[in-house]
Amino acid sequence: MKRLRPILMAVLCAALLSACVQYKSKRGVEVKWQSDITEQLQKGKSTRGEVLALLGPPSQLISLEDETVLYYLFERTKGDGYILILYNRFTVDARYDRAVFFFDENDILSDYSTHIHEAEDD
Amino acid sequence: MRLKTINPYRSTCIVFLALFLAGCTQWRYDMGDHIRHADLDKLQQGMPLTEVIAIFGPPQRISSNVSGYVMAWEHWQVDEDSLGIRLGALGADILSLDWGKARIRGEFLLATFDREHRLSGSTVSQWDNDAGGGQGIQPFIGVVSMVDIDDLVAQMPQHLWGANSLRELPRALNSPSSPISGDAGLEQRGTPPSIGQKSLELR
Repeated sequence: MKRLRPILMAVLCAALLSACVQYKSKRGVEVKWQSDITEQLQKGKSTRGEVLALLGPPSQLISLEDETVLYYLFERTKGDGYILILYNRFTVDARYDRAVFFFDENDILSDYSTHIHEAEDD
Repeated sequence: MRLKTINPYRSTCIVFLALFLAGCTQWRYDMGDHIRHADLDKLQQGMPLTEVIAIFGPPQRISSNVSGYVMAWEHWQVDEDSLGIRLGALGADILSLDWGKARIRGEFLLATFDREHRLSGSTVSQWDNDAGGGQGIQPFIGVVSMVDIDDLVAQMPQHLWGANSLRELPRALNSPSSPISGDAGLEQRGTPPSIGQKSLELR
């Protein structure tokens, strides 16, 4: 038993000092571009004001002469890891929910596209 | 002269001490969605913007330029491995031996559109490269990181779009030509600040 004491102590230390972690990070504008909301938009009819009223301020506003683009981005990062002193491993997954809206010189919606990453909890 | 006998308990302790003072750490990053080859084959010169964003979804990076729009879709996988050993068990208590390396895999699709919203060009790059690494002996604690991947795993620049104009002078003067603005082109992750338009930025 006396001979095993250092080994047991080492195993105990390893057990007490090991850990696991899980974390999430969310950055960007609130995702409001679900299909039931964007269904209200019509190319050639909806105005920039209507899009802004539905989705709020964008992450980025881009202009090309008379045209404007509203770009919305929500970045979700999910990570987990385990710390076993001798061996530690962490994984980080970043996914991007995004929407882009193009408006012509009359501020009428000419094109748009949206993407929401599946199987993500809020 | 009497020979010193090896104490088995002490030897066991030293072995365990050496083991506990060594550690291997792995980081795995996966950012964005995979770009499918079948979708890339659908791209054709003159294709309407509507069709392109219907296939690939909204781009992750977008900017206007003198001839139209430039957009990019990307998927990055970054692996970082590091190993550190405290040399205390070998009698060099103040030293640590560190080793690290990084590897990157990814895809980047760049598409340009003219003012009529027609695809004027596209290019795809795919890579699976060594992203560097290093080894060193450092005193007390690891002061210098053996692998630096911060620029590869940073958040998307769109989050800084508004804040970019509110930075202190002279940095705020960079805004009109910054890739973050959306009106001055775009750049990939990991682009060194000493090349391209960033090299002209005021700091």
